Amino acid sequence: MHIVDGALAPEVLIGGGVLAVAGLGLGLRKLPIDKIPATGVLSATFFVASLIHVPVGPSSVHLIMSGLAGLVLGWTAFPALFVGLLLQAVFFGFGGLTVLGVNTVNIAFPAVLAGLLFRGMVSRSNPVTAAVLGGCAGAFSIGLTTVFVAVSLALSGDAFVPAAKLVFFAHIPIMVVEGLVSAASVYLIAKVKPALLQAADQTSGFEMQPTATLRAKQAGEASNG
Amino acid sequence: MARSLKLVVVVGMLVFGATPAQAHKVIASLFPSGSNIEGEIGFSNGVMAENTVVEIFDLDGNKIDEVTTDGDGFFVYTPSQQIDLRFRADLGAGHVAEATFAIADLTGVDGTVQTAPSKARTASGVGSNAGPAITREQEEIIATIVRDELRPLRRELTAYKEKNDLQSILGGIGYIFGAFGIIYYIAARRLRAKAPNA
Repeated sequence: MHIVDGALAPEVLIGGGVLAVAGLGLGLRKLPIDKIPATGVLSATFFVASLIHVPVGPSSVHLIMSGLAGLVLGWTAFPALFVGLLLQAVFFGFGGLTVLGVNTVNIAFPAVLAGLLFRGMVSRSNPVTAAVLGGCAGAFSIGLTTVFVAVSLALSGDAFVPAAKLVFFAHIPIMVVEGLVSAASVYLIAKVKPALLQAADQTSGFEMQPTATLRAKQAGEASNG
Repeated sequence: MARSLKLVVVVGMLVFGATPAQAHKVIASLFPSGSNIEGEIGFSNGVMAENTVVEIFDLDGNKIDEVTTDGDGFFVYTPSQQIDLRFRADLGAGHVAEATFAIADLTGVDGTVQTAPSKARTASGVGSNAGPAITREQEEIIATIVRDELRPLRRELTAYKEKNDLQSILGGIGYIFGAFGIIYYIAARRLRAKAPNA
């Protein structure tokens, strides 16, 4: 999941960086102020989940929890997962700094898509159905991430189909475990705080005001003071 | 917020029996071994890179040679030139192992003092203070024994360096909450700037 430094061509790194910045900008613009704590918690969840080792047969897998982040946060999953990836790269040498953009896009964009696809249905369902849909969102997000990883590698010169197969099949156990954990999490959220799964309203603490308005306001403040 | 925290705890509990560890970070370690370079390539979860081609470059990026790891991700390479080397192995799925070796670390390069009339010059790294009572062959045997004894220790040291302790993970969580606290602060300031003055 985490591509490391030195595996990709410079063009792919730059492209990933540009897309990641665009996603981050969009995510921050769409971040309503009351969702910031949830964003922080999901960012921390992702950070810890990727560091926890679950033994599966001879190997081991780690969760990613990107589907859940996408369901709850939508586009804001970009900044949430970016922060987690940045700290993993800095603290644990997990992934890397030059591939940060590509890794962010590979993990966050599928999360956003999972959110767009499933959030409407999840927010209208009863907790059990929501849990099943949440599980699908979790597995879908991981599956799509494997395709994105394969595309990144293919653009850097690997053959696409074998790379995609290799990454996809290696991650089937993770998709299953991730689906189950996402389902459990969505069930819990639907029970205790269903508002988290509603689509966020689009008013944001980050939308810039037109400068004219700002000037008028400052002038008003000056005359009031 | 408290409920969100509860959620995190539940998620943590669901992953029963899991220990904080690093999954799937590539580790490449190189060690001097007489006049050879020994290396090990694998993942931090203990899976070694079996039968993987390791390409060897000089520091300018020109390919010099390649070797293949055995079933334990282990390889031995005898450098033909006295230059620093970079080893690179592609383990697929975006995992690339890279490590650089300074040729000066090799104890068996020219400069060791010969202590006895040698047959074939296969250099060893024990040095000359053992006195003339010990032959070159014996020196090599001792050096080999010492290397074999040290190998598990080296592996353990590598594994220890890769260990994630709870402290770093908690530190990371702290950074994340701090970062979102700052975002919250900025957002709140902007919101107040927009709000009509009381």
